[in-house]
Amino acid sequence: MSERAVKVWDWIVAAHEGDGPVSVAALCRAVVQRLDVDGASVTAVGGVVAREPLFASDRVSARLEELQFTVGEGPGSGQSGVRSPTLVPDLESAAPRWPGFAPAAMGIGARAVFSFPLQVGAIEVGTLSLYRATTGPLTAGELADVLVFADIALRLLLDGSSGASGSPGYRALDGMSDARAEVHQATGMISVQLGVSLDVAFARLRARAFASNYALADVASAVVNRQLRFDPDLAADSGGAG
Amino acid sequence: MAQTFVELADTLVAGFDLMEFLHTLTERCVELLEVEAAGLLLADGRGALRLVAASTEQARIAELFQIQNDEGPCLDSYRTGQPVIVSDISAEETVRRWPRFAPAAQEMGFAGVDAIPMRLRDQVIGTMNLFRAEPNGLDPSVARAARALVDVATIGILQERAVRQQELVAGQLQAALNSRVMIEQAKGILAERLQTSPDQAFIMLRRYARDHNHPLTALVGDVINGTADIAPGSRGRPRPAPRGKPERPPRPGPPPGG
Repeated sequence: MSERAVKVWDWIVAAHEGDGPVSVAALCRAVVQRLDVDGASVTAVGGVVAREPLFASDRVSARLEELQFTVGEGPGSGQSGVRSPTLVPDLESAAPRWPGFAPAAMGIGARAVFSFPLQVGAIEVGTLSLYRATTGPLTAGELADVLVFADIALRLLLDGSSGASGSPGYRALDGMSDARAEVHQATGMISVQLGVSLDVAFARLRARAFASNYALADVASAVVNRQLRFDPDLAADSGGAG
Repeated sequence: MAQTFVELADTLVAGFDLMEFLHTLTERCVELLEVEAAGLLLADGRGALRLVAASTEQARIAELFQIQNDEGPCLDSYRTGQPVIVSDISAEETVRRWPRFAPAAQEMGFAGVDAIPMRLRDQVIGTMNLFRAEPNGLDPSVARAARALVDVATIGILQERAVRQQELVAGQLQAALNSRVMIEQAKGILAERLQTSPDQAFIMLRRYARDHNHPLTALVGDVINGTADIAPGSRGRPRPAPRGKPERPPRPGPPPGG
C-alpha cells in the first residue's frame, strides 16, 4: 500500500463504529472529518448492489442525491461508460450545465460539489459525492486523497457483496494492489469461467485472495497462467493459488 | 518522421482512440528514434505512476519494475519534471543511484535509458521512456524528435492545448487509465473464450480493430458486452506486418459506435 493509502485507510478505521465490517458509512464520516468538505455520500448504481443511496453523512448530502435522481442531471448522473471525476468548485457557474440541479442544490445549501465514479475499467458500482457549503476547489492533496477514498469505496462495496470485508484483519487495499495488469486479465477470464459479470468476477477473485491469504496479484497470476480455475459448480475453486 | 506526424495527426481527428494512439506512438518511437523499446507512464492522480503503453514485453517489465521498486530514471523524471538521461546503465554512478533498477535493466538487455517528462505547464502528467541497447546517448537531432513526440503524446492525452481546469486534466488522465484497465479485462475475456494468452488476445484485438477500422476502445467495450465476435475463424484476411502508415480505407463521417 502506498503511504497515502495507509493514511486514508487509518482514517476510515478511526471513523468506524461498532463491531461489524468496515463500511462506506465509516468512509463517508472519515471524508468529512479529514477533508475540508461538509458532507459525503455513496450511491450504488447497479451491478452487485441495486441502485440506491447507501450512506449520506448528513441531510444535505442525502437530499443532493435525491435531487439528482429526481431531476435526472447533476455531477453524479453522467451516462455510464468511462466516466470521470466531476469537480464543480462553484455551483453558480454550473447553472447553464444543470439548469434543474444547480439552483436547487444551492437552495439546499451546497456551493461546491465533487463527484467521483467508483469504477475500475468496465466495472462501475457507484459514485462518491462530496459537497461544500462554501465555494472553492479541492487542493491537489485533497484530490489525491479523495481518489484513494473512491478506490477503497469501490472495494468495500465489492467485498461487502462477497462477504470478504468481514474477514479478520481485512484491509481494503492491503496486499491487494491491482496496479498489475494480470489482476484485470484474471477478472476477465473468471467472468467467462463462471458466466458472471466483471464486477462479480472481481469480487470473487478478491474474496479468494482474502480467504487464501495470498496477495491478489499472486492469485491473479495463477488464473492467467491457468494453474487456478474458478468453477461454477463447486463451492471451492479448483487448483492452487500462487 | 514527417510521415509519422501525419499518421499521428490523422489519429487525432475523427475516430480518435487514445489507447491505439499511445501504442502506435511507442512503436513509432522505436522505429524513428532507433531505440530498443519505449514505454509510457501516466500519473494516476494519487501520487503514483501507471503503465499505459509499451512497445515490447521487455519495456513493459522494465517500467513495472521501476514502479514496484519505487526507483529508476522514469520515476525521477516524473518527480523532478526534468529529462533523465542515462547513457550507461552499468556506470558506477548509475548503479549507486538505482541499486535495484540498474542491474535489472542490464539483465533485460538495456544499456541506456532516456526518461522524458510529459508536461502541461507546471504539472507533470507522466513520462515517456526510451530504452537503448547501446551505451550512448541520443544524438541531439534525435533527442529533439523525441521531445516533439512526447509533446504529441501529451496533446493526444489531454486532447486540447487549452486544457487548464483541474477537472479536465484529472478527468482525462482518469479516463485514459480506466481505458487501459478495460483493455486488460477484455484481454482476459478473449483469452478465456479462445483459450489463448492475454498477450495473443491483445494482438488479435488490435489486428481486428485495424482490419475493421474500428476504434480499439469501442471494440474492447463490445468484447466486454459480449457483442463482438473475434473468433479465430474471423481473424480476417492475412495482413502484412504494419510498416509506416497503416492502410486505412477512406472513411467519411464518424466510425460506428465511436
